[in-house]
Amino acid sequence: MPTVRLRDASEYPEPARRLFELSRQWFAYDFKEPPAMSRVMAWDPHFGGPHGRAMKRAMAPGEFSRGEKEMVAAAVSGANACTY
Amino acid sequence: MTGDDRWYEAAFVVGITNALNVVADGLGAAVMPAVDPATAPPDVATVFADIRAFYGTAPGGGEVPRPFGVIAHDAAYLADVWAAVKHAFTERRLTRRVKTALAFAVSLTTRSAFGTAFHLSELRRLGVGEGGIREIIGVTQMFSSYTKIADTLQLCSDMADIAPVDPTGVPDAGAG
Repeated sequence: MPTVRLRDASEYPEPARRLFELSRQWFAYDFKEPPAMSRVMAWDPHFGGPHGRAMKRAMAPGEFSRGEKEMVAAAVSGANACTY
Repeated sequence: MTGDDRWYEAAFVVGITNALNVVADGLGAAVMPAVDPATAPPDVATVFADIRAFYGTAPGGGEVPRPFGVIAHDAAYLADVWAAVKHAFTERRLTRRVKTALAFAVSLTTRSAFGTAFHLSELRRLGVGEGGIREIIGVTQMFSSYTKIADTLQLCSDMADIAPVDPTGVPDAGAG
């Protein structure tokens, strides 16, 4: 169980809900609620905003494709023993 | 092989990378002599030659990576470990370049001085530019942040719906 109550998308102000739409586009998937991490990051836009931009910059295709980077991210998550 | 074969390949790379790093870093400065390639018995020398060829070091010289030298006192064990390493890193569905990137990222994540330096060197040898290396560092860094945030808040995975249906019936550890 999460240690915090994750708010529903409807509880967030309009700017955050616009970011949720960008999140939906990023994952190309129609979530019933935005991913938990998106909602966590939206709790503090002054942290979540730059953190999210840095992530998107890191994941953008370059010498390695987005797919290859997703696999690296999965391996890093595994090494960190993170099930999320 | 199934549609999951890329992930099996990735998992084997991560596992065997960690196995090598554990020996190399864990032993650290402990006095644990490696087999000297110059005086290695023939069966060990044969494996050493294959290791050098795989990593592009000179056939008649050059270092054998420390984890292999340390375990080479048991030639049969060395041969099996090396066979697993070589198979894991051999290009199949995933390229050797991607496999090395995975090994580098995992080594960096686990703070393996040996693995980080070794796979960084391998990435460069395989033609990955400094920009590409920085890309892997960036992904490693950002997901080392996300994972800790997720763990601190004990978030449950909500990405399972994206994955194809798993016919095995194995429970999802992140569900619930």
